[in-house]
Amino acid sequence: MRQEDISEIWFEYEGTPLKWHYPIGLLFDLLASSSALPWNITVHFKSFPEKDLLHCPSKDAIEAHFMSCVKEADALKHKSQVINEMQKKDHKQLWMGLQNDRFDQFWAINRKLMEYPAEENGFRYIPFRIYQTTTERPFIQKLFRPVAADGQLHTLGDLLKDVCPSAVAPEDGEKKNQVMIHGIEPMLETPLQWLSEHLSYPDNFLHISIIPQPTD
Amino acid sequence: MGTSPRLPSPMPVAPPVLGWATGSGAERSWLSFSMEEDEFFGEKTFQHCCAEFIRHSQQIGDGWEWRTLKNASFMRKRTCSLSVHYCNPEAEYNILHEDSSEGYMCKTHFQIKSETLMSHSGTSACVQTCLPIEEALELPLDDSEVTETTTGSQVIKYEYHVLYSCSYQVPVLYFRASFLDGRPLALKDIWEGIHECYKTRLLQEPWDAITQQILNEHLL
Repeated sequence: MRQEDISEIWFEYEGTPLKWHYPIGLLFDLLASSSALPWNITVHFKSFPEKDLLHCPSKDAIEAHFMSCVKEADALKHKSQVINEMQKKDHKQLWMGLQNDRFDQFWAINRKLMEYPAEENGFRYIPFRIYQTTTERPFIQKLFRPVAADGQLHTLGDLLKDVCPSAVAPEDGEKKNQVMIHGIEPMLETPLQWLSEHLSYPDNFLHISIIPQPTD
Repeated sequence: MGTSPRLPSPMPVAPPVLGWATGSGAERSWLSFSMEEDEFFGEKTFQHCCAEFIRHSQQIGDGWEWRTLKNASFMRKRTCSLSVHYCNPEAEYNILHEDSSEGYMCKTHFQIKSETLMSHSGTSACVQTCLPIEEALELPLDDSEVTETTTGSQVIKYEYHVLYSCSYQVPVLYFRASFLDGRPLALKDIWEGIHECYKTRLLQEPWDAITQQILNEHLL
């Protein structure tokens, strides 16, 4: 290609422009979970789809978006107390650990975001987003507590029944959808608090994909 | 107008939603409830304040509307701005809300402005080929001696959304600046349009400011 023909890079899979600000695992679960790895996507250098994608001018934009997700997650989990008590250098360490694939560097800070007061049974609210390609809405995000009034731990199934009932099949009905996080289908009986602590993405959100059950 | 487009600061937009509640004795009772204890009520308070806000906007002709999108309701305002554009737009920063909150306010505003800029023949050639709208509006250039020239002008559309964030339990302002053909405004143009009082903070942490500051301004 000639240099003058090249403009901003963007990625696409089977006609769908890929949002850079979504975690790649989420994109794969949502769009291509049944396809074999490595995931083949198309790289474009022309005709940036202005209506579908945000521009990504620099790495700083990615850092800013990542940190804003982490902060929002902590607003839900701890009323922002934990993230606000951290120093700027701790925030930087979180980002650098992620950027440079340094697990220990990342978790030295992130583990603080996964703690909760001894007198509580979990976070204040669970940071989650539920994605479906079949709806117009980008995602579902609502306030949801990990513990019920009677002290019982809410499960993944409880969450879905409350915020996305169409995703869950009726008890004796046929299973129409897969509920996927990080490429696996956790049991619906799994406590949401546990999922939040152990299966969140680096931005501290549970990104849950509802995809049609594959027919094979 | 000879001034660069100024984005109205977030402050006048969102706090009035709360400010309305404190404006009169009758509405003061809204704030006596603890918003964090009852999230439902927090959102209903927001919707109530939006209704008041829009009522007032209609009285003064300020252009805010209430819009419903499936389950979500919005208030909107339109703004359009004409500015001289001297180079290919670089990066664009676009805050698009993806919140699934129940309602938001929206306003679109159109503004026209012109600027003079430094340019040489190389740059002006670039401008000429940029966009049809610029060609149509372009003033004649004196290439021989003049170092300053007024090139084409642009109409810029500003769109503001004020919606309720259930995560932060506060109103949040999102804005979008674009040309009439839908192309978003260059990020540096947006930053240049920021009101003076925010510029110091902006220069220190540019990314933080536009994203987080707009959110942080309204944390209770």
